[in-house]
Amino acid sequence: MNSVDASEHYEQAATDLAPALLTVIIDTNPHAWAQLEDSLSLSKAIANILVFINAHLACNYANEVAVVASHSQKATWLYPVHQDKDTTTSSDQDGDISMNGASAAAAAAAAQQTNKYRPFRMVEEQVNRNLRELMNSTTDNDLRLTTSTMLAGALTLALSHINRRTIAWAEAHGGADLEDTAANGAGGGSGGPGTARYSAEDDERLQSRILVVSVSGSSDSAHQYIPMMNSIFACQRLHIPIDVCKLSGDAVFLQQACDATKGIYMCLDNPGGLLQYLMMAFLPDQRSRRHLVLPTNVNVDFRAACFCHRRVVRTGYVCSICLSIFCEPPPGTVCLTCGTQLELGDYGAKPALLPRKKKKKKRVNGSAAGTPMSTPTPGP
Amino acid sequence: MRFGLSEAAWCGRFACRTSDIIIVLHSSAFDWTSCVAPVTVMATATSRPFEYLQSLPGVTLRKLYQQPSTALAIFRRMLPDLAKCFVMALLYLQGPFPQDDLETWVKSESKKQRDDAIDILKRLSILTHPNPVIDKVIEEKTEREQGGKQKKTVRLPAYQVTKEFARSLQQALMGSENSHSFGVFSQGPDQTPVSIADLDDYARRQWEGVLGYMVGTDALGGLREVKLSNGVKQLLQAGHLVEIRDRRVDITKDGFGFVLQDVNTQVWHILILYVESAEAIGMDSVEVLSFLFLLSSLELGQSYEKRHLNEVQLRTLADLSDFGIVYQDNPDAPCFYPTRLSTTLTSDSVALSNPVAGSITGPIGTSSGGSTGFIIIETNYRLYAYTSSPLQISLISLFTNLKYRFTNLVTGKITRQSVRRAIEMGITAEQIISYLLTHAHPQMRKHNATYSTSNASGIPPSVLPPTVTDQIRLWQLERDRLRATSGFLFKDFSAFNEYLAPCQHAAEIGVLVWKSDRRRMFFVTEHKQVAEFLRSQNRPQ
Amino acid sequence: MADSDEEYVGEVTDDEDDFQVSRTGPERRSKRRKQRGGAEWELSRTWETLVEGADGTISSTVEGLLEAGKRKRLLKDTTPLQRGIIRHLILTLDLSQSMSEKDLRPTRYLLTLRYAQEFVREFFEQNPISQLGVLGLRDGLALRISDMSGNPTEHLTAIQALKPQDPKGLPSLQNGLEMARGALFHTPSHGTREVLILFGSLLSSDPGDIHQTINTLVSDQIRVRIVGLAAQVAICRELCTRTNGGDETAYGVALNEQHFRELMMDVTTPPATDSQKQSASSLLMMGFPSRTMDSAPSLCACHSNPSRGGYKCSRCHSKVCSLPAECPACGLTLILSTHLARSYHHLFPLINWVEVPWRRASKSAACFACGIPFPPAPPENQWSMAEGHAKGMSVSSRYECTACKNHFCIDCDLFAHEVVHNCPGCQSKSTRPLEAQSDTAPAVDGMDTTV
Repeated sequence: MNSVDASEHYEQAATDLAPALLTVIIDTNPHAWAQLEDSLSLSKAIANILVFINAHLACNYANEVAVVASHSQKATWLYPVHQDKDTTTSSDQDGDISMNGASAAAAAAAAQQTNKYRPFRMVEEQVNRNLRELMNSTTDNDLRLTTSTMLAGALTLALSHINRRTIAWAEAHGGADLEDTAANGAGGGSGGPGTARYSAEDDERLQSRILVVSVSGSSDSAHQYIPMMNSIFACQRLHIPIDVCKLSGDAVFLQQACDATKGIYMCLDNPGGLLQYLMMAFLPDQRSRRHLVLPTNVNVDFRAACFCHRRVVRTGYVCSICLSIFCEPPPGTVCLTCGTQLELGDYGAKPALLPRKKKKKKRVNGSAAGTPMSTPTPGP
Repeated sequence: MRFGLSEAAWCGRFACRTSDIIIVLHSSAFDWTSCVAPVTVMATATSRPFEYLQSLPGVTLRKLYQQPSTALAIFRRMLPDLAKCFVMALLYLQGPFPQDDLETWVKSESKKQRDDAIDILKRLSILTHPNPVIDKVIEEKTEREQGGKQKKTVRLPAYQVTKEFARSLQQALMGSENSHSFGVFSQGPDQTPVSIADLDDYARRQWEGVLGYMVGTDALGGLREVKLSNGVKQLLQAGHLVEIRDRRVDITKDGFGFVLQDVNTQVWHILILYVESAEAIGMDSVEVLSFLFLLSSLELGQSYEKRHLNEVQLRTLADLSDFGIVYQDNPDAPCFYPTRLSTTLTSDSVALSNPVAGSITGPIGTSSGGSTGFIIIETNYRLYAYTSSPLQISLISLFTNLKYRFTNLVTGKITRQSVRRAIEMGITAEQIISYLLTHAHPQMRKHNATYSTSNASGIPPSVLPPTVTDQIRLWQLERDRLRATSGFLFKDFSAFNEYLAPCQHAAEIGVLVWKSDRRRMFFVTEHKQVAEFLRSQNRPQ
Repeated sequence: MADSDEEYVGEVTDDEDDFQVSRTGPERRSKRRKQRGGAEWELSRTWETLVEGADGTISSTVEGLLEAGKRKRLLKDTTPLQRGIIRHLILTLDLSQSMSEKDLRPTRYLLTLRYAQEFVREFFEQNPISQLGVLGLRDGLALRISDMSGNPTEHLTAIQALKPQDPKGLPSLQNGLEMARGALFHTPSHGTREVLILFGSLLSSDPGDIHQTINTLVSDQIRVRIVGLAAQVAICRELCTRTNGGDETAYGVALNEQHFRELMMDVTTPPATDSQKQSASSLLMMGFPSRTMDSAPSLCACHSNPSRGGYKCSRCHSKVCSLPAECPACGLTLILSTHLARSYHHLFPLINWVEVPWRRASKSAACFACGIPFPPAPPENQWSMAEGHAKGMSVSSRYECTACKNHFCIDCDLFAHEVVHNCPGCQSKSTRPLEAQSDTAPAVDGMDTTV
């Protein structure tokens, strides 16, 4: 077309497009970060992520952001934190006191520092403050008990927030809400939602996506297999891509998450260059991604976690009643999950998945009237 | 008309109607161009800030970019999605980014978008190319001089974000330097803090005052006294939005287009006018412009120090407060407040996503309610507007036959006559539709959006009833049955063959607009070649 | 003819009833009477439930009703049931003349085909390792539209191909059922055998005695569910109740497009199975292959098509191009673990959350998951007043997960139960220490402990 016409370009840029909601899930598992200390410390990573968040906010006036920490013993919000929290949860009162003090100090400091665009500053302060609080509240006991991260919980929290924001957006602007699109787009077969399902309607609702900055390995999250999978399918239904930026280790389930939701999976060889990776690969929102060649992960690990030993397995035994996966035939051939007595004999044989294509079956019960011929009687 | 052949070329105006042809003489009383002109003017009006920036020379732009707030605002407001991706990807890159890589990054089917994005970036001097590469190569040369390998360095075309822009944007994102680019809060406790509601009220009053002055709502009565400074009036006049004829204010056709736009576009329109006129009164337009961008990044409801502002900025501030774009208690107050008009300058989806701008144009008295629209249109062309603002009512009455008026509601009907009347005044169908769209009641948005999604018919949901929008367009087209083409008529050929040859020639060179074999005349847009052809034909005889 | 129309001809009905199914006799008839008295929607007077609020508007009541409606959708039985995850279902479409009626927009026929396609997608979404086949009833014949298979696209294209054709003739339920029975007869016993009929006619023109067919269906453990488009037909109800062990809910008549869709989509949820009846449950060996991408194309073992990407059998490393499949070389069932995982929320449903009375409401001020503020608790003397004005709805707008004791709003409640199937509260706090203390304590949340 006429590429010299200025107004033409501008019209494109200025058409009212729904803003994007980026939810960043930061894996703050202290064990994993301790191992990564040499190449990239947590504080440096957070600084990089904050710049990335600012860049996201800078892209559109109405863009939103949310940050969840997936810590070793709990998943919690870093931003936005609901203000009235301190009055309600009685459990961590001491934490609150320090938080209030900190916020007062921060507010004073904020008044001085005006070289930053205010929305940026607010995110930054809250994230830093809440992260500090989270770290302070982590006891040695917590660390000893677990080495994993609460990724499933973080995903669930993120999804709840996205749901809330999408409803709010739809109410304010009359767009389709999450459920509508879920109902419309529930299809797409088992391989994931079809790529062709981008419609004008998708453009009109809040563009949500989730970025997971992950450091923990896969075996750590095997015990959350089902909740993880549930969250992944929810994302898939709602067309929310899960992007994964993997700094260390290799998580099987996160690979599957990206694959199912058409997100970007990237395993960084050089964690020091985090910011550049974030800016280049993860900043474009769904609309821009349609024009870009995205880094794809061709080899996806589809192994599952077994229910008995939480091993990640390549072949397994599946209970036909409840579909529980076992790495070896369970003791006494009784399914550990549903308690059914299982027939073990033919586990090497074909489970009848594709029945032979039989012609019409003749009578089995031996009663008279055979399969009737077509004798269409005229209507009444 | 008995002109010789050589004089057959005379200036005329040619217009074709659907079936028959009318030749309109130049001296015709009706000026055809004038009814077409506003369309083009208004179509580009929304992109005013962009156009203005584009017209600035690169040096000026670079000077502008030195302020982080400006860089941020331009990045956010002026660039298409893909361009934003490019800028961000290149922002923290050490060296320039090879053009080939950038091209492979974008899918081949999106080539157009890519070129558009790069084109805009280049025009705004955000992306430069290929100067940085040459620098780079020279550096490498000097390093490698000893090895004698300098011939191997390939001069790949590459892109780099302009230094000024990169630095400012980085600063904006990271907040590194002490530049006061995002304003300074006033330190001391304010004696009389101004609430957000008060600011909204002030901004609305001032802005409606400006619009009311243009539309002349005083005539309708019921408008509160808003004193407009002379500067404002002069600016409106300079922008050809109003004309003053024997002490009476008359709105121009541009003005009609202006008042029907959404607030954000109006504000930009005025501000660009202001910047343009700033030069004339000896202010540096770059300074003014970057101050505007600074204002746009301030926070509503906060007071800001004036101490850090320089002469030009203070002067701008005083002028802007007349429009309600900023608020200050009195011209000598130590601090000022930005209003919504300024804080939403660089936001994109103003009319829709901001309860903000809507509350300004919306019904008076519900400014805190955050309702963005108040107009309901039914498929039978009936219009209900929940407003008591005399300004809005007079705007609606421009293209509607109002029927009843209640305390908070006016009803009316859009008819052929009312739309024609509006179009005669120079308002276009698109302006009417976009006005209705901007101010559509939330209930309409909701209802129509859900209705059409459940329909799953594949037609994009429209807020306004399609019958109404189509009909408004058709009513405009009714008046546009004539298209004017200026050109030259050749006629009075003595023989048919004499007529045929030049006519065919004209068709071949593509200047022929109309011909009549029977009457032996034809009309062309360009006469020189045809006349020459005729001459060359005549010569051998 | 008579047997399909019995319901509507008063005297004949009685005779035939006695004659055919004498064993159910009186109680069955009385049950029917009750049902005939009118469906719920016919009698409900929605305007009577509206109560003016203190401010003279009805907005609060309307909001309450909306919320109660949301909640009603969600309060389903969450006791973990054995469900038939491996299903074999024959979708039977009525393609007879009566389908050209336009009472459902655009026509019954086109709408049915569209919903059938949606159904196929949703069915495989919910039951990824199940099998489906499609039949049509036209001109008194049963047509095979697509064979039993686990590949949704085959069915989708087959149904799509029906669109340009016109419905004609009369349907024959019996022919359709016999053909479906033939297709299901050989399916393994660990799966379910089901037939779903979308029936737009008010009659069935059968060559033989349909009651015989019903008997054989019952003995073959084939369950029939019917969605009617016109009116209730007696034979359909009998068919459904008999094959579903007396459960009358298997037959539904669509009130409108939306209801039609709901009735169909209900079928995608795996049916509960009775473990005693289940003859053989077996342990299936399955492989979870990973996707690979080679630099050079190679032939896949299933279709001998050259391709670069594919899945390698985890036992013998032969390459197949799509999943789920059976390894052509070693016969191992290859499946994506995500296919299995998709069904887990049926097996381990999220427990229903309970309403929170004002007494306990002060504990929270905002929803745990999304942070929307709750209305503050009113003074104590007003508690009883607000109590219980809409069924299933919490007075304090709070809903509590009984496991983690967190409070949530109605939207998050819905979202958690219908979409995510996770409790945000339980998932975001480690249960490990608890487990360490007491292994016996069962579900802190239904999900985690099972893993």
